[in-house]
Amino acid sequence: MNLRRVAVVARKEWREISRDRVFLALAFALPVMWMLVFGYTMTFDVQNVPFAVLDYDHSAQSRDFAYRFVSSRYFEFRGYLTSAHEMDRLLEAAEVRLVITIPEHFERDIAAGRNARIATTIDGTFPNRAQTIQAYAESITQDYSARLRAHRIAAQAGITEDRALTLMQPLRLEIRYLYNQALRSSWSVAPSLVMFTLMFVPSLLTALVVVREKENGSIYNIYCSTVTRAEFLLGKLFPSATISYIDALVCTAIAVYYFGAPFKASPWFYLLATAVYVVCTASIGLLVSTLVRSQNAALMIASIVGIIPAIQFSGMINPVAILEGSAWVQAHLFPAMYFENIVLGSYLKGVGAETLWTNLCVLGGYAAVLMALSYHAFRKRQTH
Amino acid sequence: MLTVKELEQCARDFVLVAFMAYSFVGAVYISGTGVTQDLRNATILVHDADNTPQSRSLLYRFRQPYFKRIGTYTGESAGLARLDMGTAMLLLDIPEDFEATLSHSARPAQVQMLVDTSNVTLGYLAAAYGQQIVAEYAQERAQEGARRSGLDLRVLPSVENVSRVWYNPNLNGHWFNAIGQWLTMMTVIAVLLPATALVRERERGTLEQLLVAPLTPMQIMVSKALAMTLVNLVGTALSVYAVMLPLIGVPFAGSAWLFFATTALYVFSIAGLGLAIGAFARSSAEVGMLVILIAVPVTALSGTWTAPEAMPEWSRYGLQISPLYHFLSCAYGILLRGAQLRVLWSSILMLALLGAIAFGLAWLGLRRKFG
Repeated sequence: MNLRRVAVVARKEWREISRDRVFLALAFALPVMWMLVFGYTMTFDVQNVPFAVLDYDHSAQSRDFAYRFVSSRYFEFRGYLTSAHEMDRLLEAAEVRLVITIPEHFERDIAAGRNARIATTIDGTFPNRAQTIQAYAESITQDYSARLRAHRIAAQAGITEDRALTLMQPLRLEIRYLYNQALRSSWSVAPSLVMFTLMFVPSLLTALVVVREKENGSIYNIYCSTVTRAEFLLGKLFPSATISYIDALVCTAIAVYYFGAPFKASPWFYLLATAVYVVCTASIGLLVSTLVRSQNAALMIASIVGIIPAIQFSGMINPVAILEGSAWVQAHLFPAMYFENIVLGSYLKGVGAETLWTNLCVLGGYAAVLMALSYHAFRKRQTH
Repeated sequence: MLTVKELEQCARDFVLVAFMAYSFVGAVYISGTGVTQDLRNATILVHDADNTPQSRSLLYRFRQPYFKRIGTYTGESAGLARLDMGTAMLLLDIPEDFEATLSHSARPAQVQMLVDTSNVTLGYLAAAYGQQIVAEYAQERAQEGARRSGLDLRVLPSVENVSRVWYNPNLNGHWFNAIGQWLTMMTVIAVLLPATALVRERERGTLEQLLVAPLTPMQIMVSKALAMTLVNLVGTALSVYAVMLPLIGVPFAGSAWLFFATTALYVFSIAGLGLAIGAFARSSAEVGMLVILIAVPVTALSGTWTAPEAMPEWSRYGLQISPLYHFLSCAYGILLRGAQLRVLWSSILMLALLGAIAFGLAWLGLRRKFG
């Protein structure tokens, strides 16, 4: 291995990249656009859910109940409906996601101390949001019910309403949210997006580097030159990995300064881990590039290899702690999960090397294996 | 004729065929059977300082499908370390005087739950389900207590919520994932392939041959877009009939004809987008970057993965120019809700309009270069 020859290959590669202005501009613009578009659109906050009320009772009590939803910051009131037919239409057009139906005799049942049943009809198109809406509706109804009963007991037994509430609810669950106390979705999404973007962009940048020369035919210059396989591959990897690392810093800055995600740990470990991760994902692109024969194929393979494991099995959607069976195995097979652990640890949890070092080791090992595979796959004599 | 040439070119590219097969079958299957954002088996560590039959009976209620107890912890710092490492998601702490307070005290007893909210949705759901479990248990205890003190809780009013979910009654996240994956993959392919096909002809110099042949630029473009549409329709048919319906159980509530007709229209319009990219780009590398630059916002701003009302105000204008947003009402509408033509016509018109604009751009690009 001769470092000078590596540098020569790298310099040639850098010239080639920097002379294609559009490509160079995109290499920097893409991650920024990606962070911004996803940062804004990938929100898991369930707020301002549009809803309507179908009130068959038209009583003071039914309006009082409906008001509990109207005044909640989670819901956005779109008006009273007049018929079930209207409900069908609004739900089908996705203009409301929730309709609350209050039956006739709602007030009378409550006054008589009976059980009154209301119905909530939820649009299940987004199952996860529907689940959250269900939980909100359930909690508002339970709370309303408990207050009604406490009010009645207080009147019956001649005690205060607070005392009656304690009697009714002798046990409370105190909840402490850790890491993201305000449950702000962008705090969790922005760091994960750094992981996601860096899974994708570096491999895309390196995916073309070898195969382009194969298509041009300029690879024969390499085949008959004195530069060794390892020198050639390293030289090819270096410029793209450097661009990717700059991208990584930019993404981090966007997550922290633009989306306001807290960065609680020491930055040094994170910066080191990011470098290893970028080399790792860039090596994926390099491997693809040595394996295929056309730029098209390289682009397509590089763009799909990264995305699915990064979304599905990285812990971005579902914490790896609660995965089971094959999903758990797949999560551990791809590098995305290890870096997601590091990202969440560094940003939200504020833990450092002492907790996360195993993840870094795995990423390093991963990069080494990928490079070894590329080295093995790249032959100076073309075989067909 | 030219369409046949495009199709043959596709079929001979083995990598391409493998990629299509993976996208429409493999990727949809993986997403449709992979993880969903439902709360299932949230891993919980408990610290039961009271250790009475009552405390154990409360703990027993934190069970599957939502919760899964994976052990105990002693001392908060040990528990927190497990959360830091990400090997547990919740800590449940029952204090020493739990039972004593619950049965004899005038103040309510307290149980504490610590929730890892690095995933916001699941953190919230875990807390909400925890609340429900504790509230139910508390209510049962309250009834016993009230009986002892001579109150009759049966004549007390209550409001009960009967929850119904439409279109996906069991809130099966796999349906959502499979459909979303199919839409995303189809969008990427339908933009990427025509773009690379056009640029490749340019790089190899065969585009000039086409242009000097007795063909108009529009004929060249339409033949490429038609080929893409056919390929994507076959892919979609595979996706729907080989994966979504039999393996994932997605319902097909509406008309198959309408479904494939709108799919064809969608693919044709965004193939126009791909051709426009191909007409302006100079190299395959640029195409890759441009496709991602355009296909990503088209997908992200469509409402495929995020409900439109959850997005910020400005992005709702972006929705209107995303073809996928308009196709989404057709795809979800026909598959899940059984929507008919009279509900969908405005979306279909918008798709046609956006497609026409894309073809116009591509035509301009080709003319500028070679006209």
